[in-house]
Amino acid sequence: MVTNARPTRTAYYKALSRNLPPQSLVVTSLGNASYLWASLHDVPENFYFEDAMGLTLPLALGLSMAQPKRQVVAVEGDGALLMHMGALVTIGAMNPANLTILLIQNGVHGASGGQALTNATLDLAELARASGIAHAENVDDPDVLGAKIRTDRSRKGAEFLVLATEPDLDVVRPPIALDPVVTKHRFMTAIGAPRYVPTLFGGGMLELR
Amino acid sequence: MSISAPNSETHRPSEILRTLKRLGFGAVVSVPDSWLGEVLIRVEQEPDMTLVRATHEEEALAIACGFRLGGVRTALLVQNAGVLSMGAGMVSLAQRYQFPILMLVSYRGTHDDPVYYHLPKGRATEPVFRGIGLSFACADRHLPIGPQIEHAATFAEEGSCPFALLLSREDIQW
Repeated sequence: MVTNARPTRTAYYKALSRNLPPQSLVVTSLGNASYLWASLHDVPENFYFEDAMGLTLPLALGLSMAQPKRQVVAVEGDGALLMHMGALVTIGAMNPANLTILLIQNGVHGASGGQALTNATLDLAELARASGIAHAENVDDPDVLGAKIRTDRSRKGAEFLVLATEPDLDVVRPPIALDPVVTKHRFMTAIGAPRYVPTLFGGGMLELR
Repeated sequence: MSISAPNSETHRPSEILRTLKRLGFGAVVSVPDSWLGEVLIRVEQEPDMTLVRATHEEEALAIACGFRLGGVRTALLVQNAGVLSMGAGMVSLAQRYQFPILMLVSYRGTHDDPVYYHLPKGRATEPVFRGIGLSFACADRHLPIGPQIEHAATFAEEGSCPFALLLSREDIQW
């Protein structure tokens, strides 16, 4: 539940940055979710959403299944989740243990100026549990988040942490240009993803280089 | 690459699955319809392929992009109605980030589809695809389907973009 004394996104992000396991991959939603993370912890293993509101969690699901040996952390907002709540059901069904979802619950559509949500007080952790994500809970302390992030990843299934957060409506200016294609190529190069090797008349394959 | 002569004895849905395996597709993401249902069960039985059943086609598109970002060649199997409902994700994620996604799309609502309520979707399909800049082709049911799948997959990779191949019932219904 959203309480009256909520930590800032910055406090949560600093806790995440200090405790992120090596080799982790981080996918951030649009707006300050990406801009602030790029300001605090810009590494090639970040994938920043420019727009495509509501699609961070499904993309992170596919990524976590493609890279099962790495931890994947996805940062999404409550407003964006409401746009594609079905993604919780799909994540619950596939349930990759290397996927951690940090759900910023600030009660507003922050990236578009702070408009009210359809329902700002839903128990999203309960919603996630009902969708099949057993490891779901509400968090209102950045230190608790930090401890969970660095804890042994021996759990079975995805984790869904709802972070009670103060809205941050002032747009953070990221220190780098978040060019989508550059972001993608930088990320794929960093993780050593196979590349398409063309052949003159078609039939090319993905190959490790 | 030229497409070889017709072979009416080939079971086209089997050939689609064989081609996806040969080309190294490791994942299929889908929201099914009645034509796609059985081929998805066959995908699920393949030891080297992962099937994700999504709840909505735009979500499915994003899952496919995530797989491809992680280095897995991925196909999206949906009905044409599903492509109509994934427009925002198509332009602001898949196309904007240049994800090469092979889309195998059941083409409902054509003149020979016996389920007439699909007609409005059939009529809107190609204009909408053009409108959102989605590259596509209609499979030729008189030619072998395997090479057509391969050409579509190659287009997606060479063009760094999603590519939709519109399929008839004979192509995809097992």
